[in-house]
Formats: sequence, structure tokens, C-alpha cells
Amino acid sequence: MPAQRDEAADGRAAGRRGSGESGESGGENAGTRNTVVRATGAAISAIEQLAGGLGTALLAFVVLMWLAVTAVLSLAGVGLLMVPAVLRALHGLADRERGRLSRWGPEVIGPGPAPTGLRLALTDPTTRRELRWLTAHASRGLFLGLSGVALPFLALRDVTFPLWWSLTPEGVTATSVGIGGIAYTWGDAVPVALLGLGWVAIIFGLTPAMARVQARPGRRLLAAGPEADLSLRVAQLTATRAAALDAHATELRRIERALHDGTQNRLVTVTVLLGAARRMVARDLPPASGPAGPHAAEELLERAQRAAEQALAELRTVARGIVPPVLADRGLAGALTGLAASCPVPCRIDVDAPERCAASVEATAYFVVAETLTNIAKHSNADKAAVSVVSRGGWLHLHVTDDGRGGADESGGSGLSGIRRRVAAHDGTLHLASPPGGPTTLEVRLPCGS
Amino acid sequence: MRIVIAEDDPLLREGLALLLRAESLDVVATAGTPAEFLTALDAHRPDVAILDVRMPPTHTDEGIVAAIEARRRRPDLAILVLSAYVEQTFATELLTGGVTHLGYLLKERVGRVEEFLDALHRVVAGGTAIDPEVVAQLFTRTRHDVRLERLSPRERDVLALMAEGLGNAAIAERLCVTHGAVHKHIRNIFAKLDLAPTDHVDRRVAAVLRYLEDVRHRV
Repeated sequence: MPAQRDEAADGRAAGRRGSGESGESGGENAGTRNTVVRATGAAISAIEQLAGGLGTALLAFVVLMWLAVTAVLSLAGVGLLMVPAVLRALHGLADRERGRLSRWGPEVIGPGPAPTGLRLALTDPTTRRELRWLTAHASRGLFLGLSGVALPFLALRDVTFPLWWSLTPEGVTATSVGIGGIAYTWGDAVPVALLGLGWVAIIFGLTPAMARVQARPGRRLLAAGPEADLSLRVAQLTATRAAALDAHATELRRIERALHDGTQNRLVTVTVLLGAARRMVARDLPPASGPAGPHAAEELLERAQRAAEQALAELRTVARGIVPPVLADRGLAGALTGLAASCPVPCRIDVDAPERCAASVEATAYFVVAETLTNIAKHSNADKAAVSVVSRGGWLHLHVTDDGRGGADESGGSGLSGIRRRVAAHDGTLHLASPPGGPTTLEVRLPCGS
Repeated sequence: MRIVIAEDDPLLREGLALLLRAESLDVVATAGTPAEFLTALDAHRPDVAILDVRMPPTHTDEGIVAAIEARRRRPDLAILVLSAYVEQTFATELLTGGVTHLGYLLKERVGRVEEFLDALHRVVAGGTAIDPEVVAQLFTRTRHDVRLERLSPRERDVLALMAEGLGNAAIAERLCVTHGAVHKHIRNIFAKLDLAPTDHVDRRVAAVLRYLEDVRHRV
């Protein structure tokens, strides 16, 4: 998992991906550490993908063999009975692979149900594309998957070889691929360790590309082709569009509520207090019934003014809640860095969001962080806070934590329920952990595209 | 006059209480939620309840629901509902329970203290106080009513003010005409709406009701 750490001062924060830090800062070798952390994250993620691919590749191999047997038997006639079953297996596996690929990157949307009858299947473009994928994945995909899973074991075995080779029974120990034959001396063991370092280099250098190559046939062939029937896709888009409009409507409702229940109430309070003050002044003017009159009216006017100022502040909050102006100018990384800088509690911000999300999603992410930092500053009594934002696989993950006293409660009238409403509007999830005594952790997941 | 205020916004609640107390009215309790309001209703036996429409938990029509429930418990209770905006269905729901002892005003009318107090007293005395904007909406909705088309513009103005709950004198003052002229207009309205003088019902109320009834059927 990539988790970056940068200094706001290094000027990269304004870029597509950036991060900032306020409060205590890191060391000089942050750049190197950053690279190492990122490469490790990428390698781990690639190996996870290759292993997942290995699973479907093994199944693909089985289905391919079955298919071959069916084909041969079909020549004799009996195999024809097996055709629907094997086609169902093929479609099922293809769907499984679509789901897997969608979890690791952009969604792979299939062309919809494919026929299982022999005659239809022979002419069906989807089935033909799935067959081409099956052969590619059962061969190249299988090989890449096996390599990806084997590499870490090889690396571990060979790098640590000098530590344990002398303990094993004679004539058994050897390098993983037989280079140098059987090890008898330290002179034989050290090259093995060097070979292990080679494996490590391959893991860091090649696995991401291997994962991409393994996924390529699936991404190309399992997505709906240009000739595919798109009615299902249209139905899916209609559903997601309805969801997006729902989110939009919820958002508008939230704004309406903020205006009616917040700002308008403040303004009504202003008119009520002004009305009361006028009555007071009108009553007291002719006989001047002592100093109490004007004084009381003055107090009312003061309260009215305060209510008007609150109305302005709430209006500002509502407007900023719709779209924070800074977000459009400087992107999520820049906007959050600005937030951290203005937060009274020292706050570290890590943003790793190479893929830009929909504007409304970024606005929500910004809002969530802004509200949470406000809560932290107001209630938590924390010494420091940390915000990390990672976008991966079509999701934006927010993680906000502080070392304060905990015990945050959603019913306590803090901004938490507002945060939850906003996240829900985007089909996101929110998880809050705040045991008494702390620490408080807020985790939010938002789909990037809605 | 014993008053209970139900309004979830603390500042506005305090502002209202302050205004009414400054007018030497007796605010016996204030409530922030419908539940608190109903408790206060039983505990303090007020003459009138001033209710906000939008209250927790959902901030939609809790005030209306609470008002209807309060009416059920205390049929003689005067109710003045304050709303952030005019909502036809809210007005209709309220009016279904009868138009006496009832007020429905936009929140900002409270700032016009004299008119607000006037409406409050009218409601407590058993009358009606409907916001001019609500009345305007009612009339827009009933424009195609045949009976309404028989009315002259002036008569329609008079009926609108009647629907707001104003008496003859107040209507005369508002329209800058004599008391006798208002009387004549009202007589014409009754005639055009087929309200015979021998009826036992209060023809003023009947005239207004006929329109509200009509609106209710259309909603």
C-alpha cells in the first residue's frame, strides 16, 4: 500500500499528487525513504495481483483442458452434450475475472449474458473473445502468476542462504535454480545470496509490469467489444446515473436544510430582536421611563447584531460547503495542505491521489477533513493529528486520526452526523473509532467516480 | 395568556420568549423537540402553543404532527404554527382539524411585532390567522372554481382578508374603505357563494371553509 510522506515546503504539493506537513517535519532523507516506501508498496500490490491472477489462471487452465476434451469428444458426437456446461463454466470464470480486475483498477464491464447453446456460441463475439482470453490467461497468465508467487520465496530462500546452508544435510542444499550446483563451501554460498538480491531487484523492478501484462488480455478481451449488445451496459449506466442524481438530490437537500434551519433562523432571530427593540424604544420615548429602557433596547440590538453576524458566518459555511473555492484552484492535495496549516493542532497531511476524482467527491473529502479537523481542534484536546488520503482502485480512502481524549459521539451535536450524511450521499462508508481516552480514528471510503 | 414555545433553534426560541415577555405575556415553557413540547403541554396547561414546523429528528413536518396531536389532547388549545416557508399541504393538514383557534404564519412575520401580537390574540380568542402568502396560494389553486369567478376583484380581496382571519373593522382599515362598504362586499360574497342568511353556521367561517375545502379536494 503506498503511503507517502512529503514536506509542504518542497514545492511538490501543488502537483497532481502531493502532500504537506505542518508542525514537526521529517528528516533530509525523506525523499529516499519516500521512494523506497513507494516501490515496496507497488511491489507488494503487484504480487497480490499476480497471486490473484494465478487463481483464475489455474481455473482457466482447467476449463481449457475440459474444453479440449469436449472438442475431441464432440467429433465423436458425445461431447456435444457437455458443451452447455463447459460454456457456462467459461462465462462464470470470465465474470469472476472481470470482478477481480475491477477490484484492482478501472471497472471491467462485461457485455452481458452470453449464450450457452452450441450454435449461438459459435457465432457469439463475446464467447469468442472469452475463448481468446482463456487461452492467453491459461498460458501466459498462469506462467506470470506462478512466477509472481514464487519470486518472494526464491528471494527469501537465496538471500538467507548463507545463514542456514551449512545446517542442512550434505548434498541437499543448492541454489533455487541450480546455478552453481550444490553448495559445499562459503564460496558457493555467497553467490547464492547475491542471486537472492537479484531476485529482490526483479521483484522491485519487474513485478508491476508483470501484473499489468497478466491483466492485459482480460482488460482487453473481457470488456464489452464494439460489436457487443450494449443494452445491459445502458441499464447499468442508467442505474448509476440515478444513484448519482440521488446523491445530488441529497446534497441539495442538505444545502436547503442548512439554509432554512440555520441561516434563515438566524435572520428571523434578527427581525424578532429588532422588532422587540423597536417596541421598546417606541414605548420608552415620550416619558423616558428611566435609563432602563434605552439600555434594554441597546442589549436587544446587540443580540440582533450578533445573530446577523452568525447568519453571515453560517452562510459562508454553507457556500464553502457547496464547493470550497480552494479545491478548484489547487486540487485536493493543495486544499488539504491549506487546511492543515490553519489547524491549531499540528497536523500531518499525506495525500497520494494520482487519479483525480469527481469534483463533488473531492469536495466531500475536503469537507470531511475540514469538519474533522475542526472537531479535533474544538473537542479532542489532541497534541497532533494526521490525515492520509489515498486513491486506489476507484476508491478514495480518508484516514484521520488524533491522539486526543477520544469519546467522540455522533449524537453529541458535533459535525459528525453532517459528515455521515455527506459521505452517504456519495455511497461512501464511514467508520469512527473513538474509545474514551483516545485515540480517535475516522475512516471514510468514497467511490471516486460518482 | 399562558404560552408554550416549541422551536428547535435555541437562539430563535430565546428571542421569541424575550419578545413575548417584553410584552408582559406569560411564556410558561419553551421546548426544543416535539416530545418536550407535548410534555410541557400536559404540565403547564397553556392557552396557546407557538410551534415551529421543522423540528428534530427529521426536520420536516414534526411541528405539524405535534400540533395535530396537541389538538387531539386539548381541543380548545390555540395553536400558532410558524413556518420557514409556505407549504400548501402543511396548511391543509392543519386546517383539516378546523380553522378556529388556529394560526399559520411565516416566521419572519414575528418581526412585525404589532401584527404578530394581533394574530396571537386573535387565535387565542378563537379566530384564525393565516399568512397572506398562504391565502394567496389557496386562491391561486382555486382560480378555476366557478363560484370564485363570480366574485369581483374587490370581493376577492375581502375574502382573502377574511381567510387571514381579520374582522370587518380590520378589513376596512386594510383596504382603506368604510365599514359599510366592507359589509356590502361580504353580503355579496355570501350571496354569490350561495350561503343563505338563515343558515345556523357562521357564514364567515363557511365562506372561507368552502375554499379551503375545495383546495383540500384538489391536493
